[in-house]
Amino acid sequence: MFRLSLSTFRDRWPLFIGAMLSVAVGVALVESSLRVLAAAATPPIPPGLSELEALQLGDTYDGATTLMGMTAMLSTFLAVFIVSSTFAFTVAQRRRDLALLRLLGGGRGQLRGLLLSEAVLLGLCGVAVGMPLSAPAAAAQTAMLTGFGFLPSDFTSASAGWTVMTAAATGIGVALLGVLTASRRASRIRPLEALRDSGTAAAVMTTSRWVIGLLLLGGSVVLALLSQSAGLLIALALSMTLTMTGGIALSLLSPLFVPLTGRVFGLALRGSTLGGLAEANLRAGVRRSAATAAPLIVLVALVLGLAGTLSSLAKASGEELARTVDADLVVESTGADAQRVAAVAGVAVASPEITVPMTLTMPVIDRDTDEPEEESVHSGIVAVDPAAYADTHRAKLLGGSLGDLRGEAIVATERSEQQLTLGSKFSAQLGDKALSLRLAAILPERISTSDDFLVPRELVPAGALATAPAQTLVRVADGTDPAAVADRIRAANLGTVSTVDTWAAARSAQQQNTNVRTMIVLMALSGLYALMAVINAVVIAGTERKRDFAVTRVIGLSRPQVVGMALIESWAVTVIGLFLGGLVVAGTLAGVAAGTARAIGVAVVDFPWTLLGVVVLVAFAAIGATSVLTTLAATRPRPISLVAARE
Amino acid sequence: MVLGNRGRNLVNVAATAVELRGVIREYGAKQARVRALDGVSLRFPTGSWTAVMGPSGSGKSTLLHCAAGLERVDAGQVFLANREITAGSDAELTALRRRHIGFVFQTFNLVGSLTAEQNVALPLRLARMRVSKSDVRAALAAVGLADRVRHRPNELSGGQQQRVALARAMVTRPAVLFADEPTGALDSASARLVLDLLGDLVVSTGQTIAMVTHDPVAAARADTVLFLSDGRVVDTADRPSPSAVAERLARLEG
Repeated sequence: MFRLSLSTFRDRWPLFIGAMLSVAVGVALVESSLRVLAAAATPPIPPGLSELEALQLGDTYDGATTLMGMTAMLSTFLAVFIVSSTFAFTVAQRRRDLALLRLLGGGRGQLRGLLLSEAVLLGLCGVAVGMPLSAPAAAAQTAMLTGFGFLPSDFTSASAGWTVMTAAATGIGVALLGVLTASRRASRIRPLEALRDSGTAAAVMTTSRWVIGLLLLGGSVVLALLSQSAGLLIALALSMTLTMTGGIALSLLSPLFVPLTGRVFGLALRGSTLGGLAEANLRAGVRRSAATAAPLIVLVALVLGLAGTLSSLAKASGEELARTVDADLVVESTGADAQRVAAVAGVAVASPEITVPMTLTMPVIDRDTDEPEEESVHSGIVAVDPAAYADTHRAKLLGGSLGDLRGEAIVATERSEQQLTLGSKFSAQLGDKALSLRLAAILPERISTSDDFLVPRELVPAGALATAPAQTLVRVADGTDPAAVADRIRAANLGTVSTVDTWAAARSAQQQNTNVRTMIVLMALSGLYALMAVINAVVIAGTERKRDFAVTRVIGLSRPQVVGMALIESWAVTVIGLFLGGLVVAGTLAGVAAGTARAIGVAVVDFPWTLLGVVVLVAFAAIGATSVLTTLAATRPRPISLVAARE
Repeated sequence: MVLGNRGRNLVNVAATAVELRGVIREYGAKQARVRALDGVSLRFPTGSWTAVMGPSGSGKSTLLHCAAGLERVDAGQVFLANREITAGSDAELTALRRRHIGFVFQTFNLVGSLTAEQNVALPLRLARMRVSKSDVRAALAAVGLADRVRHRPNELSGGQQQRVALARAMVTRPAVLFADEPTGALDSASARLVLDLLGDLVVSTGQTIAMVTHDPVAAARADTVLFLSDGRVVDTADRPSPSAVAERLARLEG
């Protein structure tokens, strides 16, 4: 039996190489993400750092760990999705061969056994090829993380036994998983199908496609609705899940859209023979079109969905600042200078907000489990003058009062996953002084986390305040020109002055920059993997159509016409992929818009138009070029030799 | 009673290899229901060569597929090698194809990536039987292809490919050989060679052959010719001449 696989490999190597590569790259990505994740999760904290510096370095590593955790999850998701769709496609392409085996006495079990052992073998080859690729992948990920400042530049990672084992198990597991459903379908192939010339008239929309597709679509809609009622962070997490579930759902249901798109193309190219042929081919090759569109749908959904979510949040954070801050100017300076701004002529209110080097341990109640927990925080703590702060911020408190922020007290911002209790005690470490702070008020969740905790200025020794970075919100006296006040502050050398709008825009741009980098770390390799899967599917689809192409040439099409026909088809499939992927993006961003509307009172969406343009161009160029090259290769033999050959 | 030279016991004295009783097979949805077989009852006697003729759409291929258990019948019964296969499970039908049935088709249906030798050995492997190289070579030698064992289908002529297919069908020594237009894609010389080989099988080894054909010359080589029209057996002829077959067929088509 196995000899049959080997000899099939000789004839249909693009099929097997494609499947094997999809495993290999998936394994490489999973292994490299895991090893970077593991190294970031157990950071080497160099000696000689103060306790606070060590904790803050730990926070940096925590951030990178979270990011790599998401990357590992994304890689695993893509590996499962891409490998299973590639394997299912290769089995579908061999339908007639498998029917012939049934005709010659092959049992159902034998067919399943053949396909499953092939999957194990391909999985093993994929692991063997993929493992060496994980080192360069990890190097690329590390370079991105350190280059973008997510990790210190001396960060290194190395494979561990468990990362290799996990990735290898994932590779073989997804290969088996991918072929499991396909092999069950294959074993139900009726022997008679071997006698139909090219009629793989198998239903494309199988029961499992309908059921899983509709379930996931329903789940995605529920997620989209949920995200409108949850807090912002949860909304973000839901949106990201939505890009995945929605992407899979629509790729499973994509066969439904193929004939329609074919019709649109047929109408657009009305009168041209090639257009008509392409439309007919799209109708006949729904399975093929769906297999090519699937990875494209997921690629578009992930890249644009995540980019759109992140840039919307960055834009929303700027919008949030502009809406919550009630001031004219912002002065950025040291703590010492910040406390002198109030004395400048024309300043009605000055609210210095001085970043305090401090660690906090706070009691919270986990909203999921209702269990009390302790959480420690080492950043986002600012010392304020409560009256001036209240005067320059339009915050609606969830409870308590800013007036109570006196003595050993603190104001904290609630997060959607945690519940705070007014009056509870936060323990704090300030220099070598241990404090117990009473929770005086609770602020609503905001997108920006740079000033989540407020302590009264008098709590912090003057020496510690003087050198700390600070920003001061300034409202000028009635009838005074803010520009004149700004000039006076500059003249007094009290720091950098900007208007609130400029400052908010700069903060938003800075956030945007961070988010773009986050996006690149998350998606760069995964995106290339998904693109490889798209190209893979085009190559497999094209090489399997040798005889098909030969027949059209015998009928009278020239080789360039065949290439043109295949190109039209592949671009029609590109349109399907872009459209369905775009639907997922639209749903995701609708969720983000609803989330921001709840958080800051106005729906903010920043659609990544430039990235959309890039994705559209890359998709058309990559798929078009692959289609042309594959068709040229597939039409190289003289057509009659293929038409005459009977198998 | 023992028939043939391969020790297969067929208890039935009437010696019927395949029998169809009142078989009905319909296609299509309610409105456009087409009756491909309309109550067909017939026997393919053991050790003889039966040809089924008829115009296009007369139900010839459907008849063959039903007789071989490849298609379910809507009504009636099918017996093969003395067992009823009408409602056989997939496993039973698979076992039947492994041990009791050989197929030859107009389109050869060889596995393109396998050599002639490997193609012939394939049914043995699928049946998990011991594959003896000498048996496989003998099967190829029997069809005159001893020197082509390592060739792949695309390196062989149509006639040679059909002979490989015949060797593949015979290697498991099936009770019945089903042939669907075995000469349909061949030139007349190759066709004659294939028909000679089929004739030899019947005479020398008592092989039962059920053949569907369009070709009066092929049909005339059979022991019995059944004529099918609109899903019914309308006539039978024993050892007719090619011209008699052609004339009968022309009347059915007209």
